[in-house]
Amino acid sequence: MALLNANPIVYEPTLTTIRVETESDYDDDIVDPIDAEEVYELLRSISDPEHPLTLEQLNVTQLQHITVDNKENHVLVEFTPTIPHCSMATLIGLCIRVRLLRSLPERFKVDIKVRKGTHQSENAVNKQLNDKERVAAALENKHLLEVVNQCLATAGRSE
Amino acid sequence: MPRLELVATLEGHQDRVWQAVWHPSKTILATCSGDKTVRLWAPASHSDLSNWQCIHTLEHGHKRTIRSLAWSPSGNEIATASFDATTGIWEYDSRENDWECVATLEGHENEVKSVAWSAGQLLATCSRDKTVWIWEVESDNDFECLSVLQEHSQDVKMVAWHPHKEVLASASYDDTIKIWREDDDDWYCSDTLQGHTSTVWTLDFDASGDHIVSGSDDQTLRIWRTIKPQNAQGIPTPSHDPTYRTVCTLSGYHNRCIYSVSWSKVNNHIASASGDNSIRVFAQSGETSEEMSWEATAKIEAAHGVHDINHVSWFPSEVHRDWLATAGDDGVARIWRYIEDDV
Repeated sequence: MALLNANPIVYEPTLTTIRVETESDYDDDIVDPIDAEEVYELLRSISDPEHPLTLEQLNVTQLQHITVDNKENHVLVEFTPTIPHCSMATLIGLCIRVRLLRSLPERFKVDIKVRKGTHQSENAVNKQLNDKERVAAALENKHLLEVVNQCLATAGRSE
Repeated sequence: MPRLELVATLEGHQDRVWQAVWHPSKTILATCSGDKTVRLWAPASHSDLSNWQCIHTLEHGHKRTIRSLAWSPSGNEIATASFDATTGIWEYDSRENDWECVATLEGHENEVKSVAWSAGQLLATCSRDKTVWIWEVESDNDFECLSVLQEHSQDVKMVAWHPHKEVLASASYDDTIKIWREDDDDWYCSDTLQGHTSTVWTLDFDASGDHIVSGSDDQTLRIWRTIKPQNAQGIPTPSHDPTYRTVCTLSGYHNRCIYSVSWSKVNNHIASASGDNSIRVFAQSGETSEEMSWEATAKIEAAHGVHDINHVSWFPSEVHRDWLATAGDDGVARIWRYIEDDV
């Protein structure tokens, strides 16, 4: 099968996006609110469905496009498909959703959107990704779930 | 101020609960879930209405999530809509004291999202395949498909019958509601209700059938009124059928998707349930020929903890006219009492 985007640009992870651990991170007495960096950590090492590369290497997920309101229990992840007609956009968004579904505390409401202006059917993709009934139905599809799990197999690995 | 008080919590499902639907005449609640079962619940005793037990589990009828269920008017059958693309028909056998799946309706191409039983002999189903099917209930658990309606351009989320006429309403991911009527065995779309700006998840008729309330991903509720042909306001009704127009929009009450609305046929109140974890109750406060006004009277935040609420329904008769049932992503159903005043 021909690849949709045969030669994607590969980005080097910038040092600023890698979480720097401080002493207070290990202090159990300090309550650590969940922030954008923590969410980014969960997403950066997810594999692209087509390429043996991570969403970070393809610049699909970026720290500055993640908004976390810990008090209001809200997370917004905006992602950037590698090309504006990427037919994998919904699948990538689904992987992001499943990763957060499995990793974040249940109190969080998560919205996942294509970064404005980066996909020709962004409204359709956004609507589908945020329809929990359709997400539930998709995850009951064994084949699709396998593909998602494959993309998530690398998640959380530090290189 | 009126308030909502928790009466009971019904625990047992192994996955999110999508709906909690009252038996048409008895004190029985049916719930359906992502765990592929329906559970029937009743109070353990007549004296203690706060202790509910699961009295039946309907299982092995579906291979995937049961998204919605509907009682037949007699309460002796239940129809179940499943993501496995089929609709199950279950019948109560009083000799065996058991429920049995007696028929499986096939035809939809993918997930069946909703099923509704008319007051008469009709059943409606709708699906992600964008169609609405109308079935005739014949004797011996035979169901004949009368019509396949394909005018929605997207996933159809819910179907609901007019309380006493054979008029059907459907709500869709295409942001519209459609009204379906019959003309000599031929079903057609008589009206398309436009106004919501995102998926319409839910709708319910009032007791007269002259009004509809709908709830949407656009976080608003809309109330629509039937405008009859030759109306005094001079509103055109092109197909000589009644048309609908919005007489009230309730916004600012929910800040995430509204998944369910219920318009009590007994106390006339509207209840709504949302992905913002809250339930709200609205009471009518005024009406003119142009519009209707409603006010929010009670709310419960975090009615199912941090979880979305998928369904809300008022008890259908006088006996417990103040009871509400809700279903949540936390896998439980809850029963609430709406208390008008503190005496």
